[in-house]
Amino acid sequence: MNYIQLEKLGEGTYATVYKGRSRTTNEIVALKEIHLDAEEGTPSTAIREISLMKELKHVNIVRLHDVIHTETKLVLIFEYCERDLKKYMDAHGDRGALDPLTVRSFMFQLLMGTAFCHENRVLHRDLKPQNLLINRKGELKLGDFGLARAFGVPVNTFSNEVVTLWYRAPDVLLGSRTYSTSIDVWSCGCIFAEMISGVPLFRGRDNNDQLLHIMRIIGTPDERTIRKMAQESPEIQVKQWPRYPKIPFQQILPKASPQAIDLLERLLQFDPAKRLTAAEALQHPYFASAGMSAPSAAAGQPYAMAPPAAMPPPSNYPYQHPQQVYPQQAPPNPQMAAMQQAQAMAQQAPNGYAQYPAGYTR
Amino acid sequence: MAGLPPLASLSQIKNTPSSLDGIPADLEEDLRAYGCKLIHQAGVLLKLKQVAVATAQILFQRFFYVSSMKQFGIGDTGMGALYLSSKLQECPVKMRDLINVFDLLFQRAAHTVSPSSHPLPDFKYSPMSYFGSTFYDLKESLVVSEMQILKRLGFNTNVVLPYGTLVNYMRLLGLTSREDAVSRAWGYLNDALQTPVYALYAVPTIISAAILLTTRHLDIPLPSTPPNCWWELFDAEWEDLWTVCGYIMRLYRERSPEERSRVVGMMGKKDVRRWLESRPNASQ
Ligand SMILES: Nc1ncnc2c1ncn2[C@@H]1O[C@H](COP(=O)(O)OP(=O)(O)O)[C@@H](O)[C@H]1O
Ligand SMILES: [Mg+2]
Repeated sequence: MNYIQLEKLGEGTYATVYKGRSRTTNEIVALKEIHLDAEEGTPSTAIREISLMKELKHVNIVRLHDVIHTETKLVLIFEYCERDLKKYMDAHGDRGALDPLTVRSFMFQLLMGTAFCHENRVLHRDLKPQNLLINRKGELKLGDFGLARAFGVPVNTFSNEVVTLWYRAPDVLLGSRTYSTSIDVWSCGCIFAEMISGVPLFRGRDNNDQLLHIMRIIGTPDERTIRKMAQESPEIQVKQWPRYPKIPFQQILPKASPQAIDLLERLLQFDPAKRLTAAEALQHPYFASAGMSAPSAAAGQPYAMAPPAAMPPPSNYPYQHPQQVYPQQAPPNPQMAAMQQAQAMAQQAPNGYAQYPAGYTR
Repeated sequence: MAGLPPLASLSQIKNTPSSLDGIPADLEEDLRAYGCKLIHQAGVLLKLKQVAVATAQILFQRFFYVSSMKQFGIGDTGMGALYLSSKLQECPVKMRDLINVFDLLFQRAAHTVSPSSHPLPDFKYSPMSYFGSTFYDLKESLVVSEMQILKRLGFNTNVVLPYGTLVNYMRLLGLTSREDAVSRAWGYLNDALQTPVYALYAVPTIISAAILLTTRHLDIPLPSTPPNCWWELFDAEWEDLWTVCGYIMRLYRERSPEERSRVVGMMGKKDVRRWLESRPNASQ
């Protein structure tokens, strides 16, 4: 191999990552080694990760340089980052909590990377601190696209086994298989709260417990919301839940600014249709508020980085209550209906060949 | 990424790797179609989602624009493509089930071409032993073939399927009420999966070709004189449309029994090599 393997950087769910140095250029890289299993061939996680990351080029997405194939393993060569966000918080935070400037910078970059994925029709599906990488310049990069997938039209039904429990959106916990970009936005919201407080916001033990943890904080959704969600994703399992009132986020995160709280509120909406998109979230006044506009002044903190200069003016932002921004009932969408029809047809299709054209002999 | 899927380049089309290895164009065409039929049959037996079957067929077609049938057998490649696509479409099949199904299809094919007695005795499937060498050999071929497809396609596994768009186009043309038209066009799109068109043309062009064949067959008039040509709505060029129609129609032409059975015995690369060597002018 063209790389010298150095110390171990981390271990994830299916791979081991080492630091490496190129024999030719001396460049430091990360080597993600994936063992090929005789029982399952090339792991789907690796297939997804490589096919998607090859094309996703953005400062806030970890760059895949190369893939090395051997008989027994696949090695993905990534740009090197100092550490993941989890370790960063443990090392730099005050009991895990990051200072407001760093939180804002990381949150901005997290949303930038996420918005770029969504623009390119890629769902990450596993955003969590361990999968976000921070380099020495204070740049945050989305990594580990092992669960990511491309989405297109028509919206396929996806696997329900996505996203580590604590960062999993309530619609997915309820069994939705037609989720979309909003599941990543939920994870971004969870990560936002965790950077502010230093501890994960919702720490459930299992699927149902996770739902209860969410409801104990953002409140049990009303009948109408549940019915609407079940209508939009018929796979959803509706049950009876205890009626928890909503606890104001300000109470849970006393250190957070009102604007941070407002953004969090709009990201962590129980109903996926009401969540901001990553692109909309980037326009939120939280990212442009006075007194926070000069993170570069934090010279003593090498990891804090100013959000890029191309920040939009706050006046653009429709500053309304979420309910007003997002009408309760989405207007009927003819394209959506066409997609559903196409999907229904695709499901019964295997006879397609045999049926038509009649002259075809097999 | 969900961008546009890669299409074969002009030079790949003109000189396919198989043709460079001396495989005649008509044999390659037949082997491509036969490989895709195998994938389809296996998909039906495995009760796989149609999207997984279609994805496998498109990857299979693409693969043979970067690889030769003398180096990679259509049987193994079909098996590898279906295994891969079941992962891509999130409905992974068990290796053992897939191997069983392909073993059955291989045995059935071997039975059809066996030189023994006439008339042929009925086909009887003899299940393999999991501890015998057949299972391990097939498993090995499967893993290698999946890896080769990934490697040689540079992990470009994105495919765009035509089904959703067909429904939209039919609606735009006001044809959704003609159920016969919708299902006929649907059938052409599925049959087209046995041709290389999905590796050669953009999906709107292929759908337009299916609609053209359908409306001609059913005598449904659509505006077709410049400047009002319906296919221009979908950014399709007449010439491409016509070529795609040609590929599809060739599937339905009369074939002699010899032509039909020729490919059945060429499931593996060794069969193809033997065939090449046995030709009178195999002096290249
Ligand atoms: N490019 C990188 N630079 C530095 N550390 C990395 C890099 N990629 C991964 N790591 C470390 O390795 C861990 C596991 O990597 P990851 O890609 O998440 O693997 P898995 O898919 O198995 O979870 C990460 O949590 C992180 O700590
Ligand atoms: Mg990970």
